[in-house]
Amino acid sequence: MELKPGTKLRSDVCETQVIVVRAPAEDVALGCGGAPLIAADTEPTGTPDPALSDGTLIGKRYAEEELGLELLCTRGGTGTLTANGAVLTIKGAKPLPSSD
Amino acid sequence: MQGALTGVKVLEVAAWTFVPAAGAVLADWGADVIKVEHPVMGDPQRGLRAMGLIPGGDDAINYIIEQPNRGKRSIGLDISTEHGRRLLYQLVEQSDVFLTSFLPDVRQKLQVDVEHIRAINPRIVYARGTGQGPKGPDAGKGGYDGASYWARGGVSDALTPACAEYPIGGRAAFGDLAGGMAIAGGIAAALFQREKTGVAPVIDVSLLGLAMWVLSPDVVASGLYGGDPMPKFDHKTAANPLVGHYRTKDDRYVTLMLLQSDRFFPELCEHVGRPELITDERFADGLARFTNCIELVATLDEIFASRTLAEWMEALATMKGVWAPVQKAAELVNDPQVAANGYLSTVSLDGKDFDLVASPVQMDEMPVQLSPAPEHGQHTEEILLELGIEWDEIAEGKASGAVL
Repeated sequence: MELKPGTKLRSDVCETQVIVVRAPAEDVALGCGGAPLIAADTEPTGTPDPALSDGTLIGKRYAEEELGLELLCTRGGTGTLTANGAVLTIKGAKPLPSSD
Repeated sequence: MQGALTGVKVLEVAAWTFVPAAGAVLADWGADVIKVEHPVMGDPQRGLRAMGLIPGGDDAINYIIEQPNRGKRSIGLDISTEHGRRLLYQLVEQSDVFLTSFLPDVRQKLQVDVEHIRAINPRIVYARGTGQGPKGPDAGKGGYDGASYWARGGVSDALTPACAEYPIGGRAAFGDLAGGMAIAGGIAAALFQREKTGVAPVIDVSLLGLAMWVLSPDVVASGLYGGDPMPKFDHKTAANPLVGHYRTKDDRYVTLMLLQSDRFFPELCEHVGRPELITDERFADGLARFTNCIELVATLDEIFASRTLAEWMEALATMKGVWAPVQKAAELVNDPQVAANGYLSTVSLDGKDFDLVASPVQMDEMPVQLSPAPEHGQHTEEILLELGIEWDEIAEGKASGAVL
C-alpha cells in the first residue's frame, strides 16, 4: 500500500481507526489484528487474531522509526497494529530523567 | 464544552501544575486551550513518576497530568527551532490568551516574551505565572509551590505546630492549584477590559503573592502588633470550647464551629444527649465557658469519645450550628453534597473510568463536564491542519524535529 500523510484507515477486524501522519517512501503493508487495514469509510468484516489482540489506544502514536512510519490512533480498538508483519510500538514522550 | 469563554483561544506555553491549572480552569469555562509541548520531552510533569507519585507504575493513569490538563489539546512543537517558532507565531495570531510559566531569560531566548508576542498580536492577553513576581532581585529565579508559596510565603511556618520536628509540607501542587484559579480570574478580567477598551493588559500572578493573600490575616496582624500575634490555643484551653476538633470513639474527629456560642450551646447539649449541661452554672454563658474552658473541653472530649464518627454524623445531622466531620480525601467521593453539586466529573481513558475534580466556579448551577488530558502532542496534526498548514510542511517539520 502506498501511504500519504493524512490518509485515514481503519481496522478490518476491530474498532481501531488511524490517520497516517508520517509515511515512508516505499510501500508498506499495514495491518491490525492480523488483517490488512482498510479505507476508513468501509465496514469491518472479521475478528482479530487472538495473537494480535493487544489493543490500540486513542491519541497514541504508533511508529516504526526505521521505516519512517507513524500512525495516530483516532479510535481505539482491540487489535494490534503491524507494519510489514512487525508489531508497531507506542511513541511516547521521553521526559528528562531528572524531572523529579 | 459550552461556557462563558466558548470561542476564546488560549495558547499555553507552560509546564508543571501552577500555570497549566489556569489553562484547565479556562477549559472548564469553555475556552479552546492548546498546550504547547516539546516534541521529545513533553511537559516534564509527564515524567514525574520516580518519586512514587503514581502508585500503578508506568502504565497507570498519570493523575498529576490529568487533573491540570483535562479538556485541552496538545501540540508537539520545538519552539527553539525557527520552524517551530514560526508555527507558534501563527497560533499566536489566532489566540486571545498567551499563558506561560517560563522564566524571563528563557522567554527572551525563545522570543516568546511580551514584546515578541504583542508584536504579532497586540490584542492578546499575556499571562505569566511566576515564583516571586515580575520585579525585584528574585524575579528571574525559578519557583515551585513548595518553595515560593509554602516555604517563603510563610504558609508552612504558620501551619506547623510548635512540637513538630520539621516544618509541615504541602500536599501535591497545593498552592499551584489555587494559583491557577487566580491566574484564570485575572485573565477573565483582562478579556473583559480588552472587550471594553480594545487594550489587553499583561497579567501576573506569583506563588509568593498568592501565599500572602491566603495568609493575609497573619501578615496584617503581625504588621499591626508585631511578631506572631495570632493566638494559637491549645485544645484543652480553647477560649471558646465550641470551636475546635473533638476525637470520636473510632479515633476520627468532629469539628465544631459554633462561633455564636450563646446561641448554639443549648442546641449542642440537646444533640449530644446532655441537656442538663444547658443549666450548668459553670457553662451558663460565653464568659463562664471561657473561665471554665478546661472543664468544658474535658466534658466535650468525654462526650465525643463515647460514639463513633458515623454515630455523631447521624446525631448532629439536624443541628443548625455549623460542624463538620474531618474527612479524608478518599471519603469526598461519597459526600452527598459532592454528588448533588457535581464536584467530581467521571472521564474515561484507555478503557478506565476515573474521577477528576471540577474547578470550583459554577455558572447557572451547571456542573462542569470534563474530558481527559491529551496525550503528549496528540492533536499536533489536527491543530496544524486547522491553521492551514499542508501535510508536506508537517512532514518537513517532523523530519527536522520541529514538529512531533
